Amino acid sequence: MSQHTTPPHRKNIGIVLLTLLLLTTLGVTMFSGCTQQQTQGTSIVLIGRDSASGTRDFFWTNVMGKTNFSQNLLEKNSNGAIQLTVAQTPGAIGYVGLGFIDATVKALPINNVAPTVAHVLDNTYPISRDLYMFTKGNATGAALEFILYIQSTEGQAIVQHEGFVPIQNTTHYSNAGKTLSGTLTLSGSTTVFPIAEKASTSFKTLYPNLQITVSPGGSGAGITAVSQGTVNIGMSSRNLQPSETTLGLVRYTIGKDGIAIIVNPQNTYVTGLTLTQIKAIYQGQITTWNQLQTT
Amino acid sequence: MPTSSWPTRKSRTLRENGIRLLLFLAAFSAVIVIFSIIYFLFQDAFPIFQKVGIIQFIAGMRWNPTGTPPLYGAFPLIVGTLLVTIGAMAIAIPLSLGSAIFISEIATPRLKAVIKPAIELLAGIPSVVFGFFGLIILTTWIQTTFNVPTGETWLAGSILLGIMAIPTITSVAEDAISSVPKEYKEGSLALGATRWQTIRRVLVPTAMSGITAAIILGIGRAIGETMAVLMVCGNPTYGLIPQPITNIFTPIKTLTATLGIEMGEVAAGSNHYYALFGLALILLIITLAVNILATVILGRLREKKAQITTKKHLFPQKTKTQMKQAVYLLIGLTLILLLFTAAGPLITILIVLILITAYYLNKRFTEKIKQRLAFFILGATIVTILIILGIILAYIIGNGLPALNIDFLTQGPTNLGRTGGIFPSIIGTLYLVAGAIAIALPLGVGAAIYLHEYTKEGTITKIIRAAADLLNGTPSIVFGLFGFAFFVLYLKLGFSLLAGQITLAFMILPTIIRTTEEALISIPNTIREGSLALGATKWQTTRNVVLPPAAPGILTGAILGIGRAAGETAPILFTAVVFSNYIPNSILQPVNALPYHLFTLATSVPGSQTNQAGTALVLLLLVIGFYLIAILLRSRYQKTTKW
Repeated sequence: MSQHTTPPHRKNIGIVLLTLLLLTTLGVTMFSGCTQQQTQGTSIVLIGRDSASGTRDFFWTNVMGKTNFSQNLLEKNSNGAIQLTVAQTPGAIGYVGLGFIDATVKALPINNVAPTVAHVLDNTYPISRDLYMFTKGNATGAALEFILYIQSTEGQAIVQHEGFVPIQNTTHYSNAGKTLSGTLTLSGSTTVFPIAEKASTSFKTLYPNLQITVSPGGSGAGITAVSQGTVNIGMSSRNLQPSETTLGLVRYTIGKDGIAIIVNPQNTYVTGLTLTQIKAIYQGQITTWNQLQTT
Repeated sequence: MPTSSWPTRKSRTLRENGIRLLLFLAAFSAVIVIFSIIYFLFQDAFPIFQKVGIIQFIAGMRWNPTGTPPLYGAFPLIVGTLLVTIGAMAIAIPLSLGSAIFISEIATPRLKAVIKPAIELLAGIPSVVFGFFGLIILTTWIQTTFNVPTGETWLAGSILLGIMAIPTITSVAEDAISSVPKEYKEGSLALGATRWQTIRRVLVPTAMSGITAAIILGIGRAIGETMAVLMVCGNPTYGLIPQPITNIFTPIKTLTATLGIEMGEVAAGSNHYYALFGLALILLIITLAVNILATVILGRLREKKAQITTKKHLFPQKTKTQMKQAVYLLIGLTLILLLFTAAGPLITILIVLILITAYYLNKRFTEKIKQRLAFFILGATIVTILIILGIILAYIIGNGLPALNIDFLTQGPTNLGRTGGIFPSIIGTLYLVAGAIAIALPLGVGAAIYLHEYTKEGTITKIIRAAADLLNGTPSIVFGLFGFAFFVLYLKLGFSLLAGQITLAFMILPTIIRTTEEALISIPNTIREGSLALGATKWQTTRNVVLPPAAPGILTGAILGIGRAAGETAPILFTAVVFSNYIPNSILQPVNALPYHLFTLATSVPGSQTNQAGTALVLLLLVIGFYLIAILLRSRYQKTTKW
């Protein structure tokens, strides 16, 4: 190759070098952020529900005192998703219904009261709420029978089996002389979903001609759906908001639930939290687990 | 022209005109659909723009629609979408271009026959399966490898989106490189250039606009992707702009993920609901702009081929070179300065030294060594893609196979899907897909026939084609929102099989129009002319002469559409699906579908790992099965048809 052809050649190499430089610069700046984080100790990873969830609404009102969450709160679309993420992430903290506690996560006592059904029943556990089903107008037909079934001794056994808190003083359900057919649809709260799903399976054995569908989606979705008539029953883990009181919905209480604070089983920093600490964590004032030990 | 003495002339003309009208209506359906999508999005987004103001909505720094006071700031979400896309492109562009060049210029035919289907296979993996893989494997890997608090980050989203964009970019870029006239290549080689020099200096520059279009299409795909991003990006509640902006280990929230999470829970008619439609409108405008850009560039490419371009030089060559050198120097110095502040002096000096050595080594290398080096790197991109594909397939097959048995395929789920099978979901998916294709096939084929057989290129065909292109670029979640607003709420269909089928049909319509048109184009004009000359009418010609040989091509398109519809989650999420053990007996009832079943198990049902992997495997097999049929059909058709 003669010397005359070098200028365009050199130009191309210039581009290649510049690109390489650009890439390394970007790479180094990106990874420097990660090394900074490591030196600060184990960061708390905040896990919570999305903004339309009944669980989040309850948590926000009763634990956060309606103050803003930290901007680092990661949103999950169901109780199960929170539990899964906390089980996977060593530094995570999350809040779920009592029914979602299992061996993969560690549920923390709050103000020294363990999150158990017994403690919700005797009102010593500080964060608990009712679970509801809503119908448009008074429940009739299959919807009424299903709600009666869930409120009965048989239904409440399912509530308890799923890890939630049953209603006291119930009576037995009887399908004597009743026949139901057609379809019954439910949607809403992901907290209530497992109860309704299980109950629908056993309810179907009483009424073989009845088709039941239960879908999760969140309390907001359930209330919207039932008020618009797209489903027969809306499941909710929160009461109606002011904007929803004019929709003509009738409320049925089907059980109670405590909100448990869960962390990863590897987490050795905490054995319990106070409500104030939880609030500070979710507000973003406490950002590492070490910080919590010293306070 | 038939003579006037024919007795059936009048009725024949009537029928011909009737058919023409029907075909026109089918073609115009694409325009109607895209307009109603835009109309409904705008109608439902308008109240929030009115309440908050468009500028405040777009530029607002915090997304907190349920706070007191509620805040509707989409800016961090827009930034999140752009950052994830940029990251995805940083991964997808080098890998895709490398493999496109490798496939079109370096691979032997036999190697090509292995690599091309492999990359098409990657295109066949449904978004929710990527998300499932990302959620279980990728986020955990990032979290432990880089020792960050959580693996659900910008990086995770970008890696997944990058992998998902690879097939799109590779196939379009490969087409562009392959379609460079042979003479260019032969001329360059004849002048004594090496193959690598020919690729670098002749082929790639000539194919540049096609490659650009490929990249832009990839960007469009990445911006509109929902399920995978929703599952791995973490979704910080108010939207989060990374600090510093280059910190790829920050969780991020995109427009699509916000829609995917919040749409299902929002109270219809609330400000939050309108705000979500505002986000969808922004998303639609961004993707449409990106797709229009790609269409324009590809269109220009077609025009350019017809004419010889003459470059005008504003400055003399020497000044131009000097100007360029000055710009490069400036950029280089800025970068070094940036590096210095970010990494400290030692690393900077080291990197600069390495770069200088590379520069001098490069000058000493012969062209032959350079070619070997370049081919090695290109080969490495292909190997990387194959390894990625291998890891994903191995994980899903390895974990899914133990769950697979007769009961799993024929029983309903029990205990929330932790045990039992997925029969209702399989049936639901088949119902959805069957309905979608039953609606989309007549419309799409009719539209293509109208466009190619019944009209000359003009304003109307341009509008219809543009509508189909826009529809093609519309993100799947936007179809979902439209379906929810129009079918579920406005037409009061509720969550139903029908609403899902129509929504999916609209989504696959452009695919069917495009593939049918391609099939029609491949039929030579001479046989049409022959038929017309024998006195057959337009419709007789189309039905008896043109359509039969085009049928395999049309069928391929239909099957590709089926595959796409079977794997999509976002369009049916708010229109058709419920998590249930139940097979609908009317099209007005909701269904369960495989992608949704997998999504629900993976994100909401702890302790269902085996059935998650099993569902993923069945979904993967189903979708890839459809794609495989389409690919086989196409290659058979291409081999056997000779005119």
